[in-house]
Amino acid sequence: MMSGCPGSRTMEFPKDDVEVPAGKVPSQLRQWPIQLHLVSPAAPYFQGADVVLAADCVPFAMGDFHSRFLKGKALAIACPKLDGDQEIYVEKVRGLFEESKINTLTVAIMQVPCCRGLLGLAVEALKLSSRKVPVKAVIVSLQGEVLQEEWASA
Amino acid sequence: MENYLRTPIKEIIGKYPPVGALLEEFRIGCVPCSVGTCLLADIVEIHNLSPEDEGTLMTGIAGIVFPGMVVALPEPRSRRSETTRKFSYSPPMKALVEEHRHIKRFLAVLPAVIDRFDARSEADRALVHDGLDFVRSYADRFHHAKEEDILFACFDPGLDILKAMREDHERGRAHVRAAGEALVRCDGEGIAANLHGYAGVLAEHIKKEDEILYPWMDRNFSMRQVGELFARFRAVDERFAEDRKKYESFVGRLEDAYAEPISEVR
Repeated sequence: MMSGCPGSRTMEFPKDDVEVPAGKVPSQLRQWPIQLHLVSPAAPYFQGADVVLAADCVPFAMGDFHSRFLKGKALAIACPKLDGDQEIYVEKVRGLFEESKINTLTVAIMQVPCCRGLLGLAVEALKLSSRKVPVKAVIVSLQGEVLQEEWASA
Repeated sequence: MENYLRTPIKEIIGKYPPVGALLEEFRIGCVPCSVGTCLLADIVEIHNLSPEDEGTLMTGIAGIVFPGMVVALPEPRSRRSETTRKFSYSPPMKALVEEHRHIKRFLAVLPAVIDRFDARSEADRALVHDGLDFVRSYADRFHHAKEEDILFACFDPGLDILKAMREDHERGRAHVRAAGEALVRCDGEGIAANLHGYAGVLAEHIKKEDEILYPWMDRNFSMRQVGELFARFRAVDERFAEDRKKYESFVGRLEDAYAEPISEVR
């Protein structure tokens, strides 16, 4: 029987026969810090960059997050369900649009309803921003499949 | 069959006309295309058919080209997920589609303008003059310049589909030049023929871009390219901002005037 919040429902994904690529897989991360409260829009790695704003769970769910979404991009991560002071997030993303003059923003979120909040705050920041930038939403399933890619409009 | 995949589509349709009708069934409009140099393999790729449709189409073409023979078909391209086949325009392409919307509004009212045109009427001649100004300035200098100078430059200029689009632009420009010359001569028939010709070329051209070219381009753009295109288009929009308002409101006034039996569009 289904009940409770889909974002915290207990589930298991048994995977006995999943092949793991042989050899060391290099990280595509090019910066530190990455948490949205800790990053500054003034950081050099954001200037003119293509930025990924990922919900905290996304890189763990996706086996190929580094190669598919992180490669060549700057990163910020946040949890729209658990993090506090999210009005600061809106201002910070707005800062990425206006001050860092980022080229694009990809918002990668999980399929659970609460994760939509991260896209919501990015769209809110875009509405408030005097500078417009293409924003793409990527919705990821609990087992790491990309379910949907759509362009957001402010 | 491999040889036919590397053959320009007009050659195939010319030799086997039912192939044209078969392509139409899959909403691939190569028959009216003025150029037709796209290779069959590229057409299948550009239209992003599902593997099932691709298989059905290739089987159908093989049946027309090699009737009664067993032919080895090419392997369908790897199965794409539903995610990649769902489609929405990226912001820069959405802006071009929006500009198409205004051009299509102008094309829709054009037959009524032509029907009521009287070459002896100074007001009618002035109206056609303004219409040609809209076409030259908004459709060509603003919109087509974005395409030719910025968008098409993202791709190999030798691509057949881009050659076909540029040729459509040139055919449109030729009709506009001829209509302008006919206007100077007060030649009503020349004006009507060339405006009809222009409307025919542009309507088909816009349909190809909206339904085939832009989605194909969007599937091939990286995020970096989308952002750069968006910024470059915005810069053009800012330079053209005042004129854009003027021309888009001209179309609105034209529509209002021709919604009524007799009215002025000045």
